[in-house]
Amino acid sequence: MPKNHALRILIATVRVPFVNGGAEILAEGLRRVLIEAGHRAEIVAIPFKWYPPERILDQMLACRLLDLSETFEVPVDRLIGLKFPAYMIPHQRKVIWMLHQHRQAYDLWQHPLSDLHTYANGSEVRAAIHRADTELIPQAQGIFTISRNVALRMKSHCGVNAIPLYHPPQDAALFYTRPAENFLYFPSRINPLKRQELVLQALAQTRAPVRVYFSGSATEAAFERKCITLAQKGGCADRVQWLGSVSEEQKRDLYARSLGVLFPPVDEDYGYVTLEGMLAQKPVITCTDSGGPLEFVVDQRTGVIAEPKPEALAAAMDRLWGDRERARQWGEAGRQRYDDLHIHWDNVLEKLLQ
Amino acid sequence: MLKINWFSPLPPAQSGIAHFAMQVLPVLARRQEVVLWTDQHQVAPEVQRIARVTRYSPAAPPWREINDGTISVYHLGNHPDFHAGIWQVSVRQPGIIVLHDLCLHDFFFRVWVHSGKDRASYLAALERWYGGEGRQAGEAFCAGGISAEAMAQRFPLTRQSIQGALGVITHSRGALEELGESSGCPATALDFPYADTAESRYREWTAGRNASPHPPYRLVIFGHLGRNRRLGAVLEALAGLDEREQFRLDIYGQLWDESHIRMEIERLGLSLLVNLHGFVPDSQVEEKLSTAHLAINLRYPSMGEASLSQLQFCDYAVPTLVTRTGWYASLPEDTTAFVRPEHEVEDIQAHLRAFLADPGSFYAMGERGRRSLINHDPGRYVDAMLQFASEALRLSPRVPALTLARSVGADLTAWLHPAAGPYLLERASKEIFTMFGGEAGKTGL
Amino acid sequence: MKIVVATSSVPFIRGGAEILADNLRDALSAAGHEAELVSIPFKHYPPERIPEHILACRLVDLTETCGVRIDRVIGLKFPAYLIPHPNKVIWLLHQHRTAYELWSHPRAGDLIQGPDGPVIRDAIRQADRELIPEAKAIYTLSENVSGRLRRYSGIDSKPLYNPPAHERLFYCGPAGDYLFFPSRITGVKRQWLAIRALAQCRERVRIRFAGDPDNPMQQEECVNIARELKLSDRIAWLGMVSEEQKRDLYAKCRGVIFPPVDEDYGYVTLEAMLSSKPVITCADSGGPLEFVMDHQTGLVAHPTPESLAQAMDALWADRRSAAAMGEAGRARYRDLNISWPNVVEKLLC
Repeated sequence: MPKNHALRILIATVRVPFVNGGAEILAEGLRRVLIEAGHRAEIVAIPFKWYPPERILDQMLACRLLDLSETFEVPVDRLIGLKFPAYMIPHQRKVIWMLHQHRQAYDLWQHPLSDLHTYANGSEVRAAIHRADTELIPQAQGIFTISRNVALRMKSHCGVNAIPLYHPPQDAALFYTRPAENFLYFPSRINPLKRQELVLQALAQTRAPVRVYFSGSATEAAFERKCITLAQKGGCADRVQWLGSVSEEQKRDLYARSLGVLFPPVDEDYGYVTLEGMLAQKPVITCTDSGGPLEFVVDQRTGVIAEPKPEALAAAMDRLWGDRERARQWGEAGRQRYDDLHIHWDNVLEKLLQ
Repeated sequence: MLKINWFSPLPPAQSGIAHFAMQVLPVLARRQEVVLWTDQHQVAPEVQRIARVTRYSPAAPPWREINDGTISVYHLGNHPDFHAGIWQVSVRQPGIIVLHDLCLHDFFFRVWVHSGKDRASYLAALERWYGGEGRQAGEAFCAGGISAEAMAQRFPLTRQSIQGALGVITHSRGALEELGESSGCPATALDFPYADTAESRYREWTAGRNASPHPPYRLVIFGHLGRNRRLGAVLEALAGLDEREQFRLDIYGQLWDESHIRMEIERLGLSLLVNLHGFVPDSQVEEKLSTAHLAINLRYPSMGEASLSQLQFCDYAVPTLVTRTGWYASLPEDTTAFVRPEHEVEDIQAHLRAFLADPGSFYAMGERGRRSLINHDPGRYVDAMLQFASEALRLSPRVPALTLARSVGADLTAWLHPAAGPYLLERASKEIFTMFGGEAGKTGL
Repeated sequence: MKIVVATSSVPFIRGGAEILADNLRDALSAAGHEAELVSIPFKHYPPERIPEHILACRLVDLTETCGVRIDRVIGLKFPAYLIPHPNKVIWLLHQHRTAYELWSHPRAGDLIQGPDGPVIRDAIRQADRELIPEAKAIYTLSENVSGRLRRYSGIDSKPLYNPPAHERLFYCGPAGDYLFFPSRITGVKRQWLAIRALAQCRERVRIRFAGDPDNPMQQEECVNIARELKLSDRIAWLGMVSEEQKRDLYAKCRGVIFPPVDEDYGYVTLEAMLSSKPVITCADSGGPLEFVMDHQTGLVAHPTPESLAQAMDALWADRRSAAAMGEAGRARYRDLNISWPNVVEKLLC
C-alpha cells in the first residue's frame, strides 16, 4: 500500500451508553494513530443492549441495515469492525480486528456472571449468534484479533482462522521505572473476573509480609464488600490498600514504584496490565488460566505463571518479596521481551490496511 | 388535485386500447390534469387537442418530468408493439395498472425471448409463479413442443405484470376473482367504458338496417383474428347448416393464418358465402355494421378481458353470439346469445336456425344490449378510476414497505438461524407496519 | 437524569447539526445531568436505503443501560428521531427535506430524479406522520421548521432557539474590505448566487468563502463560475478554518452574506449578530429571516443576482449604515434570550 495514500476509514464498534472501558480506549487509540498516519478516520459506535436476548437479534439486524460503503459518493475505503455485532455491518472492504465475540454465547455460556442462559429464549439466541458469526465473519477481507487467546477462541467457536495483532497500551511511551518499593500492584476494575478475591486468599497465606495495592473502580458493590471482608477475615487487611480510581499519571507512578505486578484474571482477552507491567520493567505474576497475559509472561524469566490456587499464588508472591534482585532482573527481561515483540501501532495499521 | 401520467396506445395505433383511451381521456382531462406519455412515432392530432403529449424512450424514461405528475396509469395488454414500452416503465415506477388482457404469456414471451433474447428472464418468471412445472413447460415451448394456446391458458403470467403496482384495475369481475389475493395490492373491476352513440345518430343508422330485414342475412366478424376467435368452428357450423345459403359471412380483420382459413373455406365449399376483407380502419367499422344482422364475437380460450367490439355491437344494437367464458360470461343474459365452448358448432347452428325462425327476437336482444351500455358510461368510469387511484396513492408506502421486507428477508436468510427466524421476522414485520402502514400480515416475509 | 441525545450523521461530515448535538450534550452536562451522544450513521441514497435506515433506528433500544433506566432521549435528526423511547422529546432540526419542501428543487431535489422517488417520499412522510407524535414533546430548530412540520405532516411544534458555539467568544473588529460567507460549499447554501451577484456589483465588493464542500465537485463548479465571470481576484476560498480564524473573519468583515435557500435555522446569522455585523440574506432564505430585520440589522434581497448585488453594493457603499445595522443586530440578539439553559429547561420539563 502506497504510504502517502490517505484512506477514509470507519471503525465500527458498539457502545453501552454511559459505560467506558477498554473497547472505547482501543477504538479511540486506533482512530488517533490512523489520523497520525495521514488517514481520515472516524468511529461509528452503535448503541448496544444485550438483554432481553431478543434485543441482540434486533441489533444484529440493525447493523445489517446500515450502509457505510460511501458518503456523498466518496468511498469509505475500509471498515474496521471491532465488536459484536458492529462487525456485521456489511462492507466490501471490511477487516475485523476482534476484541472479543459475544462471550456470553460462547465461553461464558452458563457462567454465573452471564445472563443469556437465564432467559427462555437464551439457547435460541445463542444458536443465532453462532450461525451469524460463522456466516458473516468470513466475509471480511481480513480477520484479526487482539490476542492469540481470542484467535484460539474464534477457531474453536467458529472454525475461523484469525491472526493476532498486538497493540500497545494507552500512552505506552510514558511508562517508566523506579527502584522497587514494598508493594505489589494490582490495577483493574474490582470484578470477579479479575479475581482480586484469589489474591486476597493468597495474601492470607503468604509467609512474608507481602503488601498489595489495588486500584480501579468497583463495578459491583457486592463483590467489593466481599473482598474487604475477605481481607479482614484473612488477617491481612493491614497489608492491603484500596486506592479506587486513580489518574493515568498516578497509575504509571504506582507501576514504576511497585516490586511487581499482580494480574491473575480468568481468561482475559488481552490484558493491558501485563504490557503496562512490562513497560514499567516489572515482573508480572499471573495464572495458568489467565488467557491473554500468558502470551507475554514467561514463567521464571519475566514473571511467574502460577496455578490459580491461593497456595501457588502465595508462593509466587513470597518468591518476589524475598528476592528483590531476581524481581528486578525479571522486570528487565520483561521490558526486553516487550521490545522484542515489536508491539507498535505501525504493525497494526500495516496489517489492517493492506 | 391529481396530475395523471397516462401511458397507453394512442391513435393512430391499431389497438382497441387506443380507442378506449379516446373514450376516456376527454372526460378525464376535464376532471384532472393529464399528461399523455408515448413511445409511438406518431400520435394523431386529435389526441394533442385533449391533453399534452410527451414522448419518452422506454430505455431511459425522463423520471424528473414524470415525477411532476402525481400518479402514473399504465395500460397493459397482450401486444408488445403497443405495451412493451409501457410495461418497462411500470416495472420501474409503481403506478396504477389497467389490465386490458389477463393472459399475458404471449406478451412476455415476445418481449423477453423474441425481442430481448432473454430466455432466462422468461423461464425465471414461469418458475416464480408456477414452479418447476412452469419452467419445464417454458423450455418445452421454446423448443416448439407445446402450443401457444396451451401455454397461455395454463401460464398466463398475469401476476408478473402487476407486481409492485400501486393498484390494479380490470374490466371484468371474473378477472378480479382470478387475480384474487395474489395481486398483493388494491384491485378493482370497473365496467369497460364506452360512450354510446347519440340517440339521433343511432336511429338514423338502424333505419338503414331495418330497411333490409331479409335474407341473405349478413354475419360479421371483426378484429385481430387469432385461433381463439373460433373461425374454424364458425366455418364448420355454417358449412354443416342446410340453410346456409340464407347467410353471408363477412370477415373483417387481420387473420392469424390467412392461407389456412382460405383453404378451409375452399374445402368446406363456402367460397361464395364467405368474404375475407382484411383490416378495416375504425372509421369504416360503423358503415360495415350498419348492414350487419348478427355479429359473431366468439373467444375461446378467453384472453380474459373486456371486448370493445362487443360494446360497439351493443352500441349499434347488433345482436351477437359470444362464448360463455371470461368477461363475456358476465354479460347480461338477455342481451346476447351464448355459445358453449364444448359445443361450439352445435350451439352456433342452433342460434342461426333460431335467427332464421325469428329474426325479431334477435333484434330485440340487440336493443337490450344497447340499453345496457348505461353501465359503461365513461364519466362513471373516470370517477371510479380517480377514486381508486386516490385510495391506492394513499396506500403507496406499502410498496417500499414490501421492498424493505423482502430485502430484510433475503439478508436474514444468509445468516439467521432458523430458530430465531420467527421472532426477528415478526419484529421486523411489525416495525415496518408501524412505519409505513399496510397490513403486517402481508409484508410477504 | 441520564439522557441520550440521539442523532443521525454522515461520517466525515461535520456540520451545524453535529455541532449542535455536541453543544446540547455539553449543556446538559453543565446542568448536572449525565448526557451522552448516540449518532447513527445515515446514507440516503439510493432511495431504498432510507427505509432501511429508518428500520435500523427503530430497532435500537435506548430504554436502559446495564439495568439502569435512561430517563430521556432527545431526538434531533431524521431518522434517529424515530428511535423509540417512552420518554422521548424531539428537537427537530429538520426532516428529510428532499421528501418535503426540496422535493422538486432544481438543484437539491434528489428523490425526484429516480423512478422510486415518489413512493419513497410518501413512505418517509408516512413514517414521520405516524411516528413523530410518539414523542412526549416536539420542539424545532426554528419557526421555519415548525411551519414545514405543520404544513406537511399536520404536526404542531414549538421553535426552540439555541446559541451558536462559543457565543461569548465572538467580537467586533474594524470593518475590512470583504464580505464573509462561511458555510459548507453546497447547492442549498447558494455560494453560486453570491458569485453571480458579485459579477453585477458596481462597488469593488470582495467575498471570502470559508468551509469545505460536501463533495469536491461542488466547489469546482463555483470556482469555474467565478473564473468565467472574471471574478477570481475578488473571491477567496479559505476552506475549513479554525473556530478562532472564523471569529476573526467575522470580526473584520464588512458584513456577512448568507443567502441559502430555505435554511432551517442559520447559525451564521446569529454569529454575525454576535459579531455586530450586518447580514445580507434573501427573501426565500428561511431561518435567517426570523432574525434579520430588513434595513435594521441587515438587508433582505430577492434571490436573484441583480437584487443581491444591489444589497451588496448598498452595504459596501455606506460604511456607517453597515456598522449601525451591525450594532442593531447585536442588540436584537440580546433581546431574543437565546441560551442553553433555556433549551435544557424546555427539553427536560
